[in-house]
Amino acid sequence: MAILLLDILTTASMLFIVAAGLMIILGVMKLINFAHGAFLTVGGYAAHVVTAHGFSPWLTIPAAAAFGFVLGVVVERVVVRPLYSRPLDAILATWGLGIIIAQVIVFAFGREVQFAQSPISGTVDLFGTGYSSWRLILIAVAVVLGLLLTALLYLTRFGLNARAVIMNENLARGLGIDSIRVRAMTFGLGAALACAAGALITPLLSVDPNMGLPWLVNSFMLVLVSGIAIPGLALASLVLGGAQVLVSTFVSPIIGGITIVVLAAVILRIKPQGLSRG
Amino acid sequence: MADIPAAGRVPDATRRSSRQVWRTVLGAAIALAIVATAPLYLGTYMTNVLTRALFLAALALTVDLIWGYTGILTFGQSAFFGIGAYACALVFTHWGFGAGWAIGALVIGIAVAMVTAWLTGLLSFYHGASPLYSSIVTLALPIVLTQVIFSGGRFTGSSSGLSGFPTYYWKIDTWFWIAGVFLVVAATFAWLFVRSDYGRILIAIRENEDRCAYLGIPVSRIKTALFAVCAGIAAISGFGYAAFSNVVAPELAGFQLGTESLIWVALGGRGTLIGPILGAIGIDATSSYLSGNLPFLWNFIVGVTFVAVIILLPNGIASLITGAWRRYRTRGAGGGDQPRDSGIRLTAAPSVRAAAAAGRSASPPIRIDGLTCRYGSLTVLDGIDVEGKQGQLLSIVGPNGAGKTTLMRCISNGTERTGGTVTVAGTEIGRSSPQKIVGLGVGRSFQNTSLFDSLTVGDCLRLARYRIDGARPFYRSETVALPEPALEILAATGLDQRLGVETRYLSHGMKRGLELAMVLATEPRVLLLDEPTAGLTKPERTAIGHVLTRLAEEYGLCIFLIEHDLDFVREISNRIVVLHQGKLLLDGTVEEVVSSELVKAVYAGQDLEATV
Repeated sequence: MAILLLDILTTASMLFIVAAGLMIILGVMKLINFAHGAFLTVGGYAAHVVTAHGFSPWLTIPAAAAFGFVLGVVVERVVVRPLYSRPLDAILATWGLGIIIAQVIVFAFGREVQFAQSPISGTVDLFGTGYSSWRLILIAVAVVLGLLLTALLYLTRFGLNARAVIMNENLARGLGIDSIRVRAMTFGLGAALACAAGALITPLLSVDPNMGLPWLVNSFMLVLVSGIAIPGLALASLVLGGAQVLVSTFVSPIIGGITIVVLAAVILRIKPQGLSRG
Repeated sequence: MADIPAAGRVPDATRRSSRQVWRTVLGAAIALAIVATAPLYLGTYMTNVLTRALFLAALALTVDLIWGYTGILTFGQSAFFGIGAYACALVFTHWGFGAGWAIGALVIGIAVAMVTAWLTGLLSFYHGASPLYSSIVTLALPIVLTQVIFSGGRFTGSSSGLSGFPTYYWKIDTWFWIAGVFLVVAATFAWLFVRSDYGRILIAIRENEDRCAYLGIPVSRIKTALFAVCAGIAAISGFGYAAFSNVVAPELAGFQLGTESLIWVALGGRGTLIGPILGAIGIDATSSYLSGNLPFLWNFIVGVTFVAVIILLPNGIASLITGAWRRYRTRGAGGGDQPRDSGIRLTAAPSVRAAAAAGRSASPPIRIDGLTCRYGSLTVLDGIDVEGKQGQLLSIVGPNGAGKTTLMRCISNGTERTGGTVTVAGTEIGRSSPQKIVGLGVGRSFQNTSLFDSLTVGDCLRLARYRIDGARPFYRSETVALPEPALEILAATGLDQRLGVETRYLSHGMKRGLELAMVLATEPRVLLLDEPTAGLTKPERTAIGHVLTRLAEEYGLCIFLIEHDLDFVREISNRIVVLHQGKLLLDGTVEEVVSSELVKAVYAGQDLEATV
């Protein structure tokens, strides 16, 4: 029972961490970034490169985030900026970008499965059983990440500008906010979060050129169900992630794999605005 | 339906239409000739590769109908392809093989695919659904189906799929011909379909779904039906693909194939039918051909081209060619904004209105009781009671934010109001969708002109007649029968001379006129007009005023008019309702309202330019 609860909490944390970058981009830019999965993969490979060169595994996360930020700013300039007025096309263009990134990774690293060293390995004795310590750390990471993002949006100048752009871009521009810069920074931030998330989940998984793909659809569903808000995303991760764990444990792991997608489609049919609105 | 004039088949129109059919038949014959001779000069290997590609091209064709023409971004067309493929593999593996079994499996595949598509449509194409929601559902579909296949164990072969089942080991050329003929037949029907009345409706849904609904077009039903038919075609191609390749795997139903089909369509050119077919054949055949030599590089090139095309050429590579062709053609005709022969002729519809209205005089055309509309804690309308009588022109005035437009919305869409009832000609509207309410006889024009940019004036009028005259698949009507007042407006604004002009090239006044004509073409009993004369010149305004008065007096329509110009209101209306802060302030004759101190206070208090 305790293990089940821990599984639910850690799964929800992973989902929250992975989906955060996608949500920031969708929230501020009204843009669905289908390259999100590829960004996760890039993060995983960044972690692999860092540990393969003998650096401390703790460096994998900042390294992945920094690389992701640069990548995000470049991608925003080249691919995303011309498509602001065509949101459905932006989905396709970022999907194409994901294909390109996956192919570049194949060129550089081959198709084989790789591994990255974990900052902490082993288990912790909890309620009489051993539990993966990295999974437990992810709970803390998710909480800190949620608080930091909330602080960023509500306590900083950037956050104020970003919220102004979310609510009324034309008016924000009229008030002298450089909305193009806000968008570039946001996409960079979203990509950085995605890459860092990739680095954070690699200790539990292996690294391969398509590792991000399964996470893409689940993150997308969670973000829509969340109603694009940080508490909403936490709630959606807990509810849908919890459902996934329960179904996987008691019914079948294969059905568990589609729990989030199916539940999200049903929830959005009933509440099109997601959990945190109306 | 019964009152389509016999003039619908004038010789001129028939000739034009049959020329179109003959041209299509000629194109199909050439395509069939290519299919028939291709195996003679292609090697066995290329024939093999192209046979697969032809089946996939049929899949791309359906994606183009759904996404390119109708604007529904679908990730899930592969699911139906997969259903067809698995129907073939499962029946041949587990039950039996033979002509009877093959036909049975094909029918099962088509039926399962169509039912699945129909259910998906019911779930995702309700009125007011965001376009994103249907994309989400189509994204979920292949993911769910793949997991179902995975969980099938030995029955479905799980992740490795099924192979080596008995199938027809015909010569490769035979398979090529089967695939080719199937594709040509499907493409020919699709070609005729998108040029028919229904084809215009698909484009109209893509351009302005809401407007379609308010013209009484059953958008959800049409989308669902299209989705089901396309699923059936995709299932047939999946069936053929499986029977030919003798292998099925979960990937055939997967999300990756679904997105790949979007890539083919986008690269080839959405909304062109030919482009996606060439895109699918080109990309699939080339990638099979190159997969031995430079597999990763090829995928990389496809990815880069795809992104570049989406950004730089939203209409696909085909648009380079068609764009040049159009420029070449319009240079002769003198530009796209010039009137050209639209191929549509206007005729007068028999006036059924007066007779019908006489029979229904028992119940008022419209009655509103205790209508309330709230958004959260904000009350926009509060307990409005109004009754509209036959032949009455009722103007709704009030300062900005008084709730005038919301009142129109609550009448024309059953899901908008929070409380109260609206009764149209004795029928309570309940929670009906806009198209049902149009069916009851309510026509609505919008405050901001809302038209279909890339359709011509004639096409727009044809669409507006859908509710009464219907639409035919595979055939394009050449005449539009309009009620007399609509014809008058067209003549007054000069639109009857511009039936072939795309609406985006029209002036503001003409757009307003067209919108009014479209609403009148639905033959409403109650007409809701939201500032129909805003931004118009004095003569245009007078012309519209004249038509409105006649509509009320001669045709017995009940007209609700929102207007800010009180002089205009005074001239034409026989009753005025004053709204203020969501409440009905006054309901009376023109004299009563104009001389009311209360109204003066409201307007003066709001500091509006209008003085009464």
